[in-house]
Amino acid sequence: MSWFLRSSPWASEAKLDDAVIIGTGAHPFGRFDKGYEEMGVAAAAAALREAGVQWREIGAAFLARMYLPATSGVRILSRLGSTDIPIADIEAACASGGAALRQAVLAIRSGEADLALVLGCEKMPRGFMDPRMLYSDWQIELGMSVNPAYWGIRARRHMHEYGTTEEQIAKVAVKNHRNSVHNPLAMYRKEFSLEQVLNSPLVCDPIRLFEICAANDGAAAIVLASGKRARELGVEKDSIKVAAIAHTVARYSANFRTPADSMSATLVNPGPSEITAARAYERAGVGPGDIDCFEVQDTDAFCEIEAYEDLGLCARGEGGRLVDDGVTELHGRMPVNMSGGLISKGEPVGASHLGQILEIVSQLRETAGQRQVPGAKIGMAHVLGAGGHCAVTILKR
Amino acid sequence: MSDDRLRASANRPRKVVRAGLFMGPIGDLAAVRLGGSQCTSCGETSLGVRELCPNCGRDTLAPGPLGDRGVLWSFTVVRHRPPGDYRGPDPFVPFGVGLVELPEGLRVLSVIDCRLEELRIGMALRFKPYLRHDDAEDVVVFAFEPVGVGGEVG
Repeated sequence: MSWFLRSSPWASEAKLDDAVIIGTGAHPFGRFDKGYEEMGVAAAAAALREAGVQWREIGAAFLARMYLPATSGVRILSRLGSTDIPIADIEAACASGGAALRQAVLAIRSGEADLALVLGCEKMPRGFMDPRMLYSDWQIELGMSVNPAYWGIRARRHMHEYGTTEEQIAKVAVKNHRNSVHNPLAMYRKEFSLEQVLNSPLVCDPIRLFEICAANDGAAAIVLASGKRARELGVEKDSIKVAAIAHTVARYSANFRTPADSMSATLVNPGPSEITAARAYERAGVGPGDIDCFEVQDTDAFCEIEAYEDLGLCARGEGGRLVDDGVTELHGRMPVNMSGGLISKGEPVGASHLGQILEIVSQLRETAGQRQVPGAKIGMAHVLGAGGHCAVTILKR
Repeated sequence: MSDDRLRASANRPRKVVRAGLFMGPIGDLAAVRLGGSQCTSCGETSLGVRELCPNCGRDTLAPGPLGDRGVLWSFTVVRHRPPGDYRGPDPFVPFGVGLVELPEGLRVLSVIDCRLEELRIGMALRFKPYLRHDDAEDVVVFAFEPVGVGGEVG
């Protein structure tokens, strides 16, 4: 496992706990007839309110987004009043929220800011997204620009190598839809039976319609403080520590998400989730067995099974069995996607990771109501997407 | 004469769908192969003729044609018309897409031109360059097809 120790610039430092979450806010995920500015500012204002700090006290702000226009961060946050702090838009596909959070944590750890705002906001195009956002013209012309096709190819190979079944994949969707019923921030809050999922139309074999997430709108925000500032504000005890945030891009050939034209048949590089999680575990000083609850990328239901293996919840090839054994159910040994996951919430790309973090914060504060994992003290959030972008955040109470 | 036959018979300009993807004379489709770049430093062979190795970043690349036979490593079926400027059959017909493992040690993403029920991991495939007749020109594109179709013996 020396490959992550060698390349981890923070491995020798123990100050990561210095960045703490003192406020969260959200605009629900769904489809809304309003502008992104309105959704974004609602989430940001809610996070500031919960933190008990004023916008003018914030020292740096970052917006995670993929499909919004240039200077969206300024367009949203200037509604809170004029300021002269750094505000930057950050894009790293599905991991945009993690990349933005990392910038805020670095700003705090460097001492440049002692309060920072991270906002994720998205208003996604209706129907199919313009494939030129991700693919070259020739791939689009030949029909190799369909995201679920890549997921289906991975799932099919996993089934071939490890005996994973379509039923196990469908069970992930059943679990996540069941969890979402209790989440007011989710878009779909409806249970589906195993039969309903397995009878939903194939999108890209073996992936079915009720097993994939929808692109939608929404926003989520957090206010971060240095440990010192949190103590001064008297909120230290209620704050949630960012024990680790890691963001990486896949190595050669280890990125068969989207887009891709070929991969090596001889080289076995660890995938982006594996590398990113290893870095996060190392920085937080914990292992998968120490984590009480997980929110992971479930753009499609198979992706969650693969995440179990990449994040170390089980051995390679055992993901399907983990589902059968109920280990990742809300009241299982390792609960995954208590929020309902992206399958139920939808995926407003820039906001998705921050939405996961809001769920973990609720769990660690024990305010998750019927979704609560009793006694949760450490939680993990994981996102993975186009270009091999992956981010993993570990939070501690 | 139908439009199709007029197009095929005319002396139309011909181009490739992506520069560097193919090797061989595009005037003679039977001699066209996928192009590859073998890195003499790290040993990886990558798709297309390139300047730098996508694995190690060095410029020690030897271009050469890739083998025209492969094995299906995994696949899916695209059940709905792809978004944007998709140039496949209209009206849309569901089609297979998969990763084809080539003897040079790489897997290439390709449309698999066969009946959907034939698709299975491990099936033997053959490179199939063909012409797409666009309005103003013919474009060399590719797929893979099962060995043994078209009356030939694999």
